[in-house]
Amino acid sequence: MTGVRQAWLVARREMRERSRSRAFQASVVFLIVGVAAMLILPVLLKPSSTRDVGVTGAVPATLAAAIAGQAQAAGITARVHPYAILAAGEQAVRQGQVDVLVAGARRLEWKSKPDEQLKAVVTGAIQLATVRERAAAAGISPGALAALLAPAPVTNVQLGSVAGRSPGDEAAVLVMTAVLFFGISVYGQMVLTGVLEEKASRVVEVLLARIPARALLAGKIGGIGLLGLAQTGVTALAALVAAAAVRSAGVPAVRGPVLAWALVWFVLGYALYATVYGALGSLGSRVEDAQAVAGPVTVVMVVAYFASFTTIGQPDSVFARAISCFPLTAPMAMPGRIAMGAAAWWEPVAAAALTLAAIAGLVQLAGRVYARAILHSGPALSLRDIWRGKAAPGPGPSGAGTREVGPPRPAGVTAAGRTTMTGSDPARRRALITVLTGTGVVVGMAVAVLTADVIIGIAAGAGFIAVANQMVRLWTRHTGPPAAHR
Amino acid sequence: MLDFDGVTKWFGPVMALDRCTFSARPGRLTGFLGPNGAGKTTAMRAVFGLVELDQGAVRWHGAVVGPADRARFGYMPEERGLYPRMRVRDQLVYLGQLCGRKPGDVDRSVGAWLERLGLADRAADRLDALSHGNQQRVQLIAALVNEPDLLVLDEPFSGLDPIAMGAMAGLLSGLAARGATVLFSSHQLDLVQDLCQDVVIIEHGRIVLAGELAELRATVPQRFVDIRYRGPAPDWSRLAPATVLEAGDGAARLRVGGDADVAAVLAAVRDRADLVSFSYQPPTLSELFRQAVAA
Repeated sequence: MTGVRQAWLVARREMRERSRSRAFQASVVFLIVGVAAMLILPVLLKPSSTRDVGVTGAVPATLAAAIAGQAQAAGITARVHPYAILAAGEQAVRQGQVDVLVAGARRLEWKSKPDEQLKAVVTGAIQLATVRERAAAAGISPGALAALLAPAPVTNVQLGSVAGRSPGDEAAVLVMTAVLFFGISVYGQMVLTGVLEEKASRVVEVLLARIPARALLAGKIGGIGLLGLAQTGVTALAALVAAAAVRSAGVPAVRGPVLAWALVWFVLGYALYATVYGALGSLGSRVEDAQAVAGPVTVVMVVAYFASFTTIGQPDSVFARAISCFPLTAPMAMPGRIAMGAAAWWEPVAAAALTLAAIAGLVQLAGRVYARAILHSGPALSLRDIWRGKAAPGPGPSGAGTREVGPPRPAGVTAAGRTTMTGSDPARRRALITVLTGTGVVVGMAVAVLTADVIIGIAAGAGFIAVANQMVRLWTRHTGPPAAHR
Repeated sequence: MLDFDGVTKWFGPVMALDRCTFSARPGRLTGFLGPNGAGKTTAMRAVFGLVELDQGAVRWHGAVVGPADRARFGYMPEERGLYPRMRVRDQLVYLGQLCGRKPGDVDRSVGAWLERLGLADRAADRLDALSHGNQQRVQLIAALVNEPDLLVLDEPFSGLDPIAMGAMAGLLSGLAARGATVLFSSHQLDLVQDLCQDVVIIEHGRIVLAGELAELRATVPQRFVDIRYRGPAPDWSRLAPATVLEAGDGAARLRVGGDADVAAVLAAVRDRADLVSFSYQPPTLSELFRQAVAA
């Protein structure tokens, strides 16, 4: 049986078992209901666009018609209620039966603060009616007056911060980048906990006696990825249906090619981060170790997300170009640039090729880490342990009761490094962190100078320091309490 | 036939397996013995490619074990574990399919094993809803779903009650009788002595004794005499050339050379005591084990 077929069996199990779980079913329902509610509720809860205007005293005969006309132009409906005496009108205002009382065409009475829009409508109508009255008195015919008063058309344009793209586009890109970030991180972390669960329940040894580690990891990543795509697709469908049902303008026109690219980058970003999460998951021993072993990657993802987020307004900057090509940030940075029309046709293609190359490399590395760490029991491992081949299988302290054999070793056995960086290293480790922090400051300043933007410089420097520190931690570990043996 | 051929494994500076060479033959039960940490689990994992060997190879019918062979192997690891939240039948069928068997065949095997081990009515339950004993049975079926030619079990008797132990022993003997090669580790030496035709003893990663149990016992140049008698304890020390191992109230255990004349020993004992029973035996597996490991 081929590895591909085995990986497919693993993927099928992931999809079947996960889609059966109550938590997953609840999350699907929650997302559908949540998205639909976000689109439908604003329409339902929108304040009524009908206003009641009371009129009392001596007013021009055409005022009621003028109010209706002005209101229509402003996009609201106005009902006019005549009151014989002022007191009755004021009573109606106080009781909320009318929003405003026009008293003798010279005074507007409100219950409290004036509604600015209605004030403009009624004031305009009074001006119009008064002009008509004076025109009639001056002997100007209604036809000539209409010609005089015909409004000159004025159009409103929203420039946004990028030529050719509206603020609606920017909002859509923000949402898209956030969906990519949450999608990649939620489904990536499912791979992380899935790997840890298999290791903690010890079922992994039964599985690996039958299929290669790579097929197991690939199947798990593939299955969860397909499930993630399906869940995202169903949610998107719910959003489209809800938007269509209320004819909401909340979903800006999204272009087909942009959506296609977003899908490609979701798949690439998920493949990249899920591979890393899968490998790191194998380092822990219990599900509780998840955050300890994967913290560094989560930090990298958050940094990548915020970096992408800051470039939406300046998709042409050097910084934006750089992070949209770098494999760790490209999945969140590139789709936004494509949507904002800032990327030349070859840029996403080149970035996708780079990311694919990075994934290929990571798959090799991750497969190695996973295969070496997955059968190790005991305290969580560090990447350095894996590198040095220290991961010994078996319960209890590794190799208890076996002889310590020094060199010479049999031919063909490479001399693995001795554990040099164990107890005496806090000093070395502190020095390393100091150097990295200094480098981060320099990087931040350099970025600030290059992009002529202090905020981006600070973000880049802080991001560098955070990521570097996490990497040191991942490499050396041995923080946190040791895992209990079962 | 399963052959370990010079299998060597290092964990960093620690040598876990040191040029291990032994065989397990079809149709027979092979007991794999050794103190804790001697390398039993590592050796068993080597059969399934779960440890990368530094030297040597594990062979099946003469060829280095590959994925196609492993599809015909069954394995029960020492650290038991399956998916706790997956239904019993689903996970057994899944494990069978991973071996490349057709879904229909796997289904039949799983059904038959569930029936045989009395779990047919629990097939649709989640694993974690089952009792500890039943979970152990499911674990055993997980090793058997592909009707394996080679069965490797790490401590299959640990944690079993006497009834379950008997059932497990019967099942393993039955599989061997049908031609399977069965290799299992255990600390229950009396049970292994009754059950196994072959034994392998490992210590500090090195094979210190391997072969047919009856032969190994016979070739040891000592025999053990167990005596029960009535009356006062005689002076056993005059009973040359025997060595007194234990002497208590009404019973004694002596060691004599393998070439000793049984009739002469018996006659000498009868002269000294009112004999109730007399047995003349090669060393037990426990004695072989202690000798081999102490050496």
